Amino acid sequence: MIPIEKTLIYSVIAVYLFITLAPLIWVLSTSFKPNQEAISFPPKLLPDAPTLDNYLFVLTDPKLVTSLFNSLLVSIGGTGLSVAVSALGGYAFARFEFKGKNLLMSTILGLFMIPVVINIIPLYIMLANVGLLNSLLALVLTFQILIIPLNIFLLKNYFETIPKELEEAALIDGCSKLRALWHIIVPMSMPGFLIAGILSFRFSWNEFVLPIVLSNKPDVMVFQVALYQFISLYRIDWGYLTAGITIALIPVVVLMLISQKRMIRGLTLGAVRG
Amino acid sequence: MKLTLEARAGSLQPYLLLVPALSILIGFLLFPLMWNIYISMHNVSLTTILGEWKYVGFKNFSNLLRDPDFHMSLQVSLLFVGGSVALQFFVGMVLAVVLNQQIWGSNAFRALFIIPWTVSAVITGFSFKFIFSDSFGVLNYGLEQMGLNPVAWLSDPGVVVWTLVIANMWHGAPFTVIFLTAGLFSINPVVYEAARIDGATKIKSFFYITLPLLKPFIIINLILITMWSVNFFDLILVMTNGGPLFASTTSSLYMYRQAFEFGLLSKGAAAGFLLIGMNLVLAYSYIRLFRRQERTVEIRQM
Repeated sequence: MIPIEKTLIYSVIAVYLFITLAPLIWVLSTSFKPNQEAISFPPKLLPDAPTLDNYLFVLTDPKLVTSLFNSLLVSIGGTGLSVAVSALGGYAFARFEFKGKNLLMSTILGLFMIPVVINIIPLYIMLANVGLLNSLLALVLTFQILIIPLNIFLLKNYFETIPKELEEAALIDGCSKLRALWHIIVPMSMPGFLIAGILSFRFSWNEFVLPIVLSNKPDVMVFQVALYQFISLYRIDWGYLTAGITIALIPVVVLMLISQKRMIRGLTLGAVRG
Repeated sequence: MKLTLEARAGSLQPYLLLVPALSILIGFLLFPLMWNIYISMHNVSLTTILGEWKYVGFKNFSNLLRDPDFHMSLQVSLLFVGGSVALQFFVGMVLAVVLNQQIWGSNAFRALFIIPWTVSAVITGFSFKFIFSDSFGVLNYGLEQMGLNPVAWLSDPGVVVWTLVIANMWHGAPFTVIFLTAGLFSINPVVYEAARIDGATKIKSFFYITLPLLKPFIIINLILITMWSVNFFDLILVMTNGGPLFASTTSSLYMYRQAFEFGLLSKGAAAGFLLIGMNLVLAYSYIRLFRRQERTVEIRQM
């Protein structure tokens, strides 16, 4: 590759790396500044009076802490449910031929494209009628619509990479289909489950639209909504807010970074197979 | 006794395995979608949910179409979606191609570039609200340092939509990068070799080999990012709340506010229905556009 190409490529990467990381670094730096300094002019990268007060505030305010726990509960619960349900569905698509299979798969993928925002009004009325408004259970269930289609697709692709002979060998040895599924497929699919789990967790943790409509009472609020409602509705304390943002960032960024190679492979598995 | 895994024709097993997933999807996704139409034809507000609903036919739709705020929101949506899609696609394509070259560290860079997509709309919104702030934003400070004039990113009605487009690009471009990277992976390198032997330059092979082979990926990518931009409202809610004075209220934000800030659920449902329509029209237009292009190419080759 000629040198000028290399320079061009690395320049583009450098520029975009800056665009990508600068906002986050700025937020991080602000989170260590007291509220007053956060909005002072001229802005400086290194705080004049670095402080952990902002983090202390976010981690000790009862409403915010409750919302953090709610986010964790809903995300973990939602992940478990979604992976279990999608594993069953993905297995059906991967290992069986049945009438309407292709149509069903296309429909499920099509459902993934339906934006959540369109359904918030009917869902609100629906849940109001059964008394499930402002409940974490409702959140866990409604978040599924975001992640089940993608997970079924991912896990179906993943199951298809496991050779059928393994299950067939178990069947010859007298194993029932269900036991074959449990003892053979599940352990071998852990990487696939991991990817599906991380994606589910991420969608649940980041979700804002459904919770702000369906559960905005303080005791069932999730962290993303709490950031919006408590810190910023009237007058924004940017020190507190940036600390809250950083706390909200950490789980998803860490998860993504440790799994990104597998993630890309998992998502492109379908592509390479055509 | 059947020893293979293939189900006998007519076996219920696959259907049973799909029951949990399908029941959730039908109950919480398909049913509400259909119900939206019913809701939009009645008179429901936040206060009358559990009471009796009056049937009003198409009145909600006609109110909607006569609302000047709704017209404005359509214009804003057009700008926001158009700008977002163009910018995200262009940046995503450039990065995908650049990272696909034989360079050191492409995996590490890809990992870093994904970060904006992994954070939430709320995080993106607040971060950029802070950075773009007219009074204490670091961006205006940087501009002043460079001798340029500061811009009223968030309070100038003419600029605010583009500010949102930039924030949306930061958040959304990584998806295009990943998606098109998957597409680039699916191209057999042998094709490029053959082209090189025939004397094609890199630029030529990009336009005549890469792009055509990427077409299915490009279509799906464009459909997805367009729909996501049409329906994205949490970013806007957080960054500007639709202001200043509705200048950045897209149709999706309009729908949310009609329903949950003004309490007019059925008017919001009518807006939602139109939103669905917009999505379908856009998706269909993309598919038709590319289909027509293909036919033109075929005719030229005859």
